[in-house]
Amino acid sequence: MRIRGFFLFRRYTVLTFILLLLLIALVLMSLRVKQRKGLDFFDAFLMELCSPFQKASTFVIKTVHGVFQNYIILIHLQRENAMLKQKIVELQRENSQMRETAYAHERLKGLLQFKGKNLSSVIAAEVIGQDPSSWFKSVTINKGEKDGIKKGMAVISPEGVVGQILKTAPYHSTVLLITDYSSAVDSIVQRTRAKAIVEGKGENRCQLKYLLRSEEVMIGDIVVTSGLGGNFQKGLMVGEIRKVDKKEHGIFQYAELVPSVDLTKLEEVLIIAESPLPPPEERGKKMKKSPPGAGPKKK
Amino acid sequence: MKRIGYSLFLGILFLTLQTTLLPYLPIQRIRPDMVLILILYWGLSFPPVSGGILSFFLGYLMDLFSGNSFGLYTFSRPLLFYVAQFFKGRIYLEGFLSQFLFVFLFALFEGLLILTLLSALNPVALNNLYPLLFTFYAPQSFLTGLIAPILFFLLKKISFLFFPQYGNGIKTRERG
Repeated sequence: MRIRGFFLFRRYTVLTFILLLLLIALVLMSLRVKQRKGLDFFDAFLMELCSPFQKASTFVIKTVHGVFQNYIILIHLQRENAMLKQKIVELQRENSQMRETAYAHERLKGLLQFKGKNLSSVIAAEVIGQDPSSWFKSVTINKGEKDGIKKGMAVISPEGVVGQILKTAPYHSTVLLITDYSSAVDSIVQRTRAKAIVEGKGENRCQLKYLLRSEEVMIGDIVVTSGLGGNFQKGLMVGEIRKVDKKEHGIFQYAELVPSVDLTKLEEVLIIAESPLPPPEERGKKMKKSPPGAGPKKK
Repeated sequence: MKRIGYSLFLGILFLTLQTTLLPYLPIQRIRPDMVLILILYWGLSFPPVSGGILSFFLGYLMDLFSGNSFGLYTFSRPLLFYVAQFFKGRIYLEGFLSQFLFVFLFALFEGLLILTLLSALNPVALNNLYPLLFTFYAPQSFLTGLIAPILFFLLKKISFLFFPQYGNGIKTRERG
């Protein structure tokens, strides 16, 4: 090869190449850490190139899985189960909304704006792939910039909050799940109205951060979005508290919650294209309390 | 060139299976890393330049489809490829146990590397990730190690079938 002519020894060529390749990887890492911008053309191109494989594979797997489940094993039970699950989801959602309304009326603040409660614009998308790595929690969906998806948009399912759009390509996007360690959602405990930030724990668990020790929370309490982040509307179910650890000292207490959505079995999601603004008084609070905020944490 | 194209296709196929098929397995939280096995196989059977580029590209793709926005795999995957290259011909890799141990140790090493990089690059403490290394990542590395001999065998067979001129993949300790 001609390039080798520039080098004195062949073994140095290889060594130089290795060092150069690793250096490029480090430079790329450094750029990503520093700039944090969305995918550029090359990234989007690669994503579009590989996503059809995922789409085709998901289709085949789902078809085979569906045939296996629907026609071979327990046909009736499966249908009944799906129907009951759907019913539970509807009731849960209804229950959560009713509680929200009741609390809001009790406090006489008029914070619930029913106009704002209705999602003005949602985009339905199908999950076509999971995160290839075990350290991170994300999914790939079959909707992208051409469908109106933008970075930072909230992603939900009928059961509750799923995550936020992390990367976008023309026809596909990556959703950062709330269980990812770098995810953060501004939330409140529904019963006590205690404010906290829901952060991912890596597994199918989240933790409540900045939850004041003075707040009374207990196992079974429901956590909903506060609406302060700007991306999520108020009152969307995030999860249920499963563990509370209140030490004798310190400002904050620790609580762990299980997301209301089974993120390991996600198939379809909704992306909130237009999020209603929180009431003016809450926006004022948000301006003062900027650090935790909702959205992907600065990694 | 044909071999590189075929390997690239195989890499994308493995990545696709890892993101679509493996999450359907009964043990969802512990998924074997098929792409890592492939890269280690390349480390033992590919020349440094083309293999390095392939590993870099596959690491880049992994970063694209994951929630990781740092580009950690773009760095770790070619690095692992070259470390595997270093051991090529130095260790005996014909038996099940040796192949299992080889991949298991590499998977653990990568876990530690990722964790170290994450801790170094994150301004926020990531204490909740450390326990995962033992409760979750070690069993996953173990599983990756377990399926490695099977995949090595299959890759060797496929490679021999399509490209007999390159030998049968994994080279054992050179004698003499």
